[in-house]
Amino acid sequence: MITGTAFWYASRATGVVSLILFSLVVVLGVLVNRQGRLPGLPRFAVTGLHRNLSLLAMAFLGIHVFTAIVDGYAHIPWLSAIVPFTSRYERLWIGLGTVAVDLVVAVMATSLLRERLTTSVWRAVHWLSYAAYPVVVVHSISASKDLRSGWLLILTMTTIFTVTTAMAYRILDTRAAVPRPGLVHEKLVRAEQTRRLR
Amino acid sequence: MTATTPDAAPSRAGATPTLLPRLLPANGQPMELATHLHVHGPTPYRGGPRMLINTIESAGLTGRGGAAFPTHRKLTAVANAKGVPVVVGNGAEGEPASGKDKLMLWSCPHLILDGLQLEAEAVGAKAIHLYIHREPKLVQRLTAVLAERAASDLDRLAVGLVTAPPRFLAGEESALASRVEGGAALPRFTPPRIFEHGVHGSPTLVQNVETLAQLALIARYGAQWFRLVGTEAEPGSMLTTLQLANGSGGVVETPIGTAITELLRLTEYPAQAVLVGGYHGAWLSSEQARHLTLSNADLRPLGAAVGAGVLAALPPDRCGIIESARVVRYLALESSGQCGPCLNGLPLIAAALTQLANRRSVPTARADLQRWSSLVERRGACHHPDGTVRFLRSALAVFAEEVALHEAGRCSANSYQPFLPIPATAPEHKHDWS
Repeated sequence: MITGTAFWYASRATGVVSLILFSLVVVLGVLVNRQGRLPGLPRFAVTGLHRNLSLLAMAFLGIHVFTAIVDGYAHIPWLSAIVPFTSRYERLWIGLGTVAVDLVVAVMATSLLRERLTTSVWRAVHWLSYAAYPVVVVHSISASKDLRSGWLLILTMTTIFTVTTAMAYRILDTRAAVPRPGLVHEKLVRAEQTRRLR
Repeated sequence: MTATTPDAAPSRAGATPTLLPRLLPANGQPMELATHLHVHGPTPYRGGPRMLINTIESAGLTGRGGAAFPTHRKLTAVANAKGVPVVVGNGAEGEPASGKDKLMLWSCPHLILDGLQLEAEAVGAKAIHLYIHREPKLVQRLTAVLAERAASDLDRLAVGLVTAPPRFLAGEESALASRVEGGAALPRFTPPRIFEHGVHGSPTLVQNVETLAQLALIARYGAQWFRLVGTEAEPGSMLTTLQLANGSGGVVETPIGTAITELLRLTEYPAQAVLVGGYHGAWLSSEQARHLTLSNADLRPLGAAVGAGVLAALPPDRCGIIESARVVRYLALESSGQCGPCLNGLPLIAAALTQLANRRSVPTARADLQRWSSLVERRGACHHPDGTVRFLRSALAVFAEEVALHEAGRCSANSYQPFLPIPATAPEHKHDWS
């Protein structure tokens, strides 16, 4: 039998897991955009990992929101799952969480419908991920004291540092992300200088 | 070599020309507007959308750009698609061995422009573009022709001129759509096919300029007239770019189904092999070619196709592997570098074939080439890897004895002078796609 405190602990735990998973999703997203590789993985696997982890993160986010509302301790109304700043408990910090949920749902929905949308619409909405991430971080640190001490603090700092580095790389690396048509010339010249082609 | 022409006087307007050439001017001189109107009469508008499509269907006209797709089905698809269609005439073939589109744009532009107007009427289009290579003389000539027609109030819709970069893939449909939108002429992933989602998302009808000219003639002289030449399954005439074994060549208009031996004069100028359909086409041995006609019915069973009508006879003193290696190297360089299999595979294939041609190949070269071919095939957004692989496989099959000689460090050729035309890719063109 699940007691009231079980829901509360479940919500806090899934919140932490969601933060970590979404951080990984953002880093992998940057990697996909910059056509980066992960050791031992082909390029399409990086894209696959980015997509599958985002689905997993969505599942944890769903449990996080559901358990927070179902739990009787904080009295968060169902409306707060969608409409920001409608919770009397921690109105601002829970509200930021709702903002993040809305943004992430928009990004996820457009990605699932990607074949039916134009690339420009999908890309424009996908950019919201970069806006959502700081909101997620502020919500995570402010809505609960869990992340402010001990090893969870170290984990949070590591996460924030990694994502910030990735975002900086995304902005500072100005090389075109699209394949360069001239690249094939470089490849041919290199191949012609190789004795044993593989 | 130019078209063999009957020494008949130009026919009167309205009279039905029965002999070839139908498309190209009989006297070889570029046909100006006054002559065009005198010979063919005004543009035969039908007065409403779709009315021409039945005539085209009974004529059995197929696309002359290479795919031989039934023209009436393309027209119907675009007419039925959601949105206001755009019509584009494709005169930017990138095939170096073919010269017909450029010749047509130069010598009978008014047939092409009539065809564009008639197609626009048939599918209810509101915009027309003509896509040509950005050669200053050609652009200048067509700008003048369009201005002349505009001044004579002949066209119902204005025709926009769009220029293509000098690339093999610039004439590919999705690359064309991208270029007409103002972007780079790079192929895109399909589906969506451009007849439903092309230029700025509009259903887009892309037709080779020869197809347009044929359509303009069918609209005037009827389906029965069109079927007077050609075969039952593949009616009509087509423009063929020939390269004979003695080095001469040119564009001729010929009925579909003419014997290859006759076109290339193989009894007079023997060849060791015949290239059919251009650089995305296939080699045939001279024994195979001797019994075949220029028709898809004959060529398709052998994995070849009429394509854009290129026929080249390789003289006996040349090396088929050396010639093929030059072509494959050119094709590799013409990859747009967008899809991994093409970007990584074609340079490897080209380098290995060049090593084989230079008699410096590793023992596994032939197996490597076959394996890499299977790896790149059908894995590009466009047909470039497939066409390249088709050409390579036919070369390895037809020149199998020559491959064995090269592996043993020998070569049967007496002349190393390049035979097939390869454009010299200027360095500044390497990154230039717009």
